Amino acid sequence: MDELLRDFIIETNQHLEEAATQLVLFERDPTDASLIAKIFRLVHTIKGTCSFLGLTRLQHIAHAGETMIGELRNGAAPTQSSVTVVLAAIDRIKQIVEEVERSGVEPEGDDNDMIAELDAQAAILAASLAAAAAPAAATSPAEAPAAAPPEAAAVAAPPEVHAPAPVVAKAPPAKGPAAPAKGPAAANARSSETIRVAVDAIERMMQLVSELVLTRNQLLELTRHRQDDTVKSPLQRLSSLTTDLQDAVMRARMQPVERLYANLPRLIRELATECGKKIDLVTEGADTELDRQLIEILRDPLTHMIRNSADHGLETPSERAAAGKPETGEIRVAASHEAGQITITISDDGRGLDIEKIKKKLITNGTVTEAEVAKLSEDEIFKFIFAPGFSTAKTVTNVSGRGVGMDVVRSNIESIGGSISLQSKLGKGTKFSMRIPLTLAIAPALIVEAAGQRFALPQHAVVEAVGVGQNSGHVIDKVQNALVLRLREEVVPVIDMSQVLGLAQADRENTEQLVVIMRVGGESFGVIVDKVADVQEVVVKPLSASLAHLKVFTGHTILGDGSVVLILDPGGLAMSIGIEKSGDKKRDAKKDVAGADKMRLVLFRAGAGVVKVLPVSLIARIEMVEPGRIEHADGRLTMIHQDRLMPLVPVGSTNFETSRSYPVLVITDGDLTVGLLVDEIVDIIEETLDVQLSSGGYDTIGAAVIRGHAVEFIDVTSYLQGVASSMTRQTQKQSSRSQVLLVHNDAFARDFLSPMLAAAGYRVTAASSAKEALQIIDQGSHVDAVVTSTELGEMTSNELMSAVRRSQATREVPVIGLLGSDEGYDESEGDELTMRVQASDRQSLLAGLSSALKAMQRAEKRSASKSKNEVAA
Amino acid sequence: MTTSAAVALTAERTISEDISTLTVVANGEVFGLPIQTVQTIFRIASLAPVPMGPPDIAGLVNLRGKIVTAVSLRRRLKMENDVVETNALAIGIEHKGEYFCLVVDKVGEVLALDDSKRIPIPPHFDPERLRLTTEFYRVGKMLIPVLDVNALFDFAK
Repeated sequence: MDELLRDFIIETNQHLEEAATQLVLFERDPTDASLIAKIFRLVHTIKGTCSFLGLTRLQHIAHAGETMIGELRNGAAPTQSSVTVVLAAIDRIKQIVEEVERSGVEPEGDDNDMIAELDAQAAILAASLAAAAAPAAATSPAEAPAAAPPEAAAVAAPPEVHAPAPVVAKAPPAKGPAAPAKGPAAANARSSETIRVAVDAIERMMQLVSELVLTRNQLLELTRHRQDDTVKSPLQRLSSLTTDLQDAVMRARMQPVERLYANLPRLIRELATECGKKIDLVTEGADTELDRQLIEILRDPLTHMIRNSADHGLETPSERAAAGKPETGEIRVAASHEAGQITITISDDGRGLDIEKIKKKLITNGTVTEAEVAKLSEDEIFKFIFAPGFSTAKTVTNVSGRGVGMDVVRSNIESIGGSISLQSKLGKGTKFSMRIPLTLAIAPALIVEAAGQRFALPQHAVVEAVGVGQNSGHVIDKVQNALVLRLREEVVPVIDMSQVLGLAQADRENTEQLVVIMRVGGESFGVIVDKVADVQEVVVKPLSASLAHLKVFTGHTILGDGSVVLILDPGGLAMSIGIEKSGDKKRDAKKDVAGADKMRLVLFRAGAGVVKVLPVSLIARIEMVEPGRIEHADGRLTMIHQDRLMPLVPVGSTNFETSRSYPVLVITDGDLTVGLLVDEIVDIIEETLDVQLSSGGYDTIGAAVIRGHAVEFIDVTSYLQGVASSMTRQTQKQSSRSQVLLVHNDAFARDFLSPMLAAAGYRVTAASSAKEALQIIDQGSHVDAVVTSTELGEMTSNELMSAVRRSQATREVPVIGLLGSDEGYDESEGDELTMRVQASDRQSLLAGLSSALKAMQRAEKRSASKSKNEVAA
Repeated sequence: MTTSAAVALTAERTISEDISTLTVVANGEVFGLPIQTVQTIFRIASLAPVPMGPPDIAGLVNLRGKIVTAVSLRRRLKMENDVVETNALAIGIEHKGEYFCLVVDKVGEVLALDDSKRIPIPPHFDPERLRLTTEFYRVGKMLIPVLDVNALFDFAK
């Protein structure tokens, strides 16, 4: 393409962008004549260049546009439709320019429609101007002084009436001084001028500067021991110039955020029209500089957030008025440079986020349960805004509300090493804050020293540096061979950098050290270093393939003095301490270093007593199960696991409550799958499991010592067998819950006990006498347990017992005897009863019943010896 | 490298006229480097070690604004006294888009080699070393193993 044409395209695009912005501003403040004068000039320039280059289509549109804008410049008040038409014309010009850029020639077609509209608007404006000008003064005096020196304008101004007056008063500074005082104006123009430079060229400059730095350093090294002052001072100058040059080249990639702001006024204008709201845009910090690449990446997220603010955040004018706010809402976009990062905030003074609405949405979505929501802080709930598919908008509008977006915004921001957060107050507004690194290529880093070697720690992960040692308040403790730092109220895990990197460690007993506190993915940890040598902006270069496997480093860089340092990866460091996002990775990483005799063990709490332990190898997976998923079926706890019913067995005496979630250890053995319901997972560790005491209990293998504490090693097979036996039983009998036969001759006791047992999850059949009970058994009714009074009148409980035992179906069922309140144990009655409890002691009855039922299930599988005895009896 | 591969490589070499080699010295032993792989020879001003990296990698060097991975020939060949000191001589070699340099004790001369001087690989040599060499030449009284650049800078796990 022609060099001239290329320049034209670049220039025109800049002009168009500027013109559109100025136009929107002018619409808001028609009294600012400097704006319209500027627009006029821009369009005029475009027209001029087009005719010079023979781009006739563009020339015609620009001409029509110029005519219309000329009317505005002459003092006609802009109408919304006139501005819209001009914006449309600008869009048309842009389209054509794009086409020219692509093909090198103007596309076919005509723009008579556009030109006709512009002409029509021009006519309307001219008419309104004539009407307005008639009673006041003619338009010509207003125009004449505009070009005249300021004094003349000031003289001419007073007699004018209101609308045109400011036009005259303000026009001169825009136009007037340009002619007489060309010097400063031209200088000003030059400073804002830009040229296009290929990124390659800048990279090449960077490389050359690096070499220059190296050469300087060598020179400095050579002259260090010489007492030659004639060389020293120019060398000093060379040195500082080199540093400045390096800085300047690094900054060459930077561009002001202004570029990001340029199209916002127009966006706001469109949004205001679409949503029927009045919106003011306030931008701050336009001169904040940011890497060019980042500006392009940020454009979409920013647009999206502004759309959100306009659509959801701001209320309609009437709602605002009702809330006692000004009708016009405000959207504020501010950029600032702090601590090596750029912060961009987008705030509105709208209705704010309704936390209750979000909570409700989360619960109906099934994202969290009600119980969990109650525990979440406001900030944590707001964070769900960034979850995929989340929207509280009742109606999906053109602008937003589809629930796609904020998650994309977040991932965009995070992909460039930034973060996003939000604050909101109901009725007051919402504020999004994006923290973004200055550039992708240059990151501020702490240069730290460990064992005499320097490393760079990216500053974005650094929270603070804390001095430790005798003379400072902080002390590092060694707890169970791990280092921790007590920092204010927190206990922070600490790693020693030299140790992690396997560097030779100098004797550092009495030396002062620094702990750099870092934060990765919400987890804090400390890194011990010998000192922080410097803070520098480093150019991150990726590691070469031969070193890429080192997870602790993200890259390397050349420091200002020419030396190479490795850049530490905060995530990799966190990983070395065991903090990381994915649990699977941890498992693999640990496996590699695991000694042969060490096992990965899950420590958990279940019921009373010491911590229980199971090797990870026995556990298929660990699931957190919400109360809703646990159901009573067939007299025991079950849950649906991979589309099948999985029995849940509470370990030990875990008291199952329906209101909370439980960790479930899923254990599989062949076709058998059972979930062990436990109270809490304590830890997953790597230790040798040395069972020192074997146990007589059916469900434990024995006790062991782990990290100085006694633990119980659970016998998984007993749980699997328990389930296996009840499963076979299940196929034989169709009952869904344990069937209890309640025998009591006292109607009151029956009426009192049956609902209680039913409430505890049993099916109850009541019999008023031993005879009736035996009839029920003889009819073949399924009975899992018998609860009987020991005083049955016509038959003692023992006699009933014997009768029960005679029946094939019930010879193994537990029989629980209920003692009257004043009755004592009478051992002479024999031992046939499985157990006796006081009739009034409901807890014992329920506990006894359930344990007897469980024992029976186990007994069925385990051994026949007991039942043999019973048969003998 | 297997013998057959070495033979294949040699066959290729006979076609090309120039099989000159740059001789380098490590621990008194002389090795050859194919001259076309050598880009630059320089002295290492300062070296940044890579903790936890492969042991043969002595560290990272700034070579005129480029970060170069320095590989010690002594360490690569499991020789004694493998400490890489600053001001050591290094030969810059680009391999698979990565910048490497081979740290040696001394750089000798460029020798023109031809097929007539090539000798079969002695079978009783250390296989670990043979892995790093392509062929052997006899030059005068010296026996010069030519190093295999691909194997030298291959740190793939």
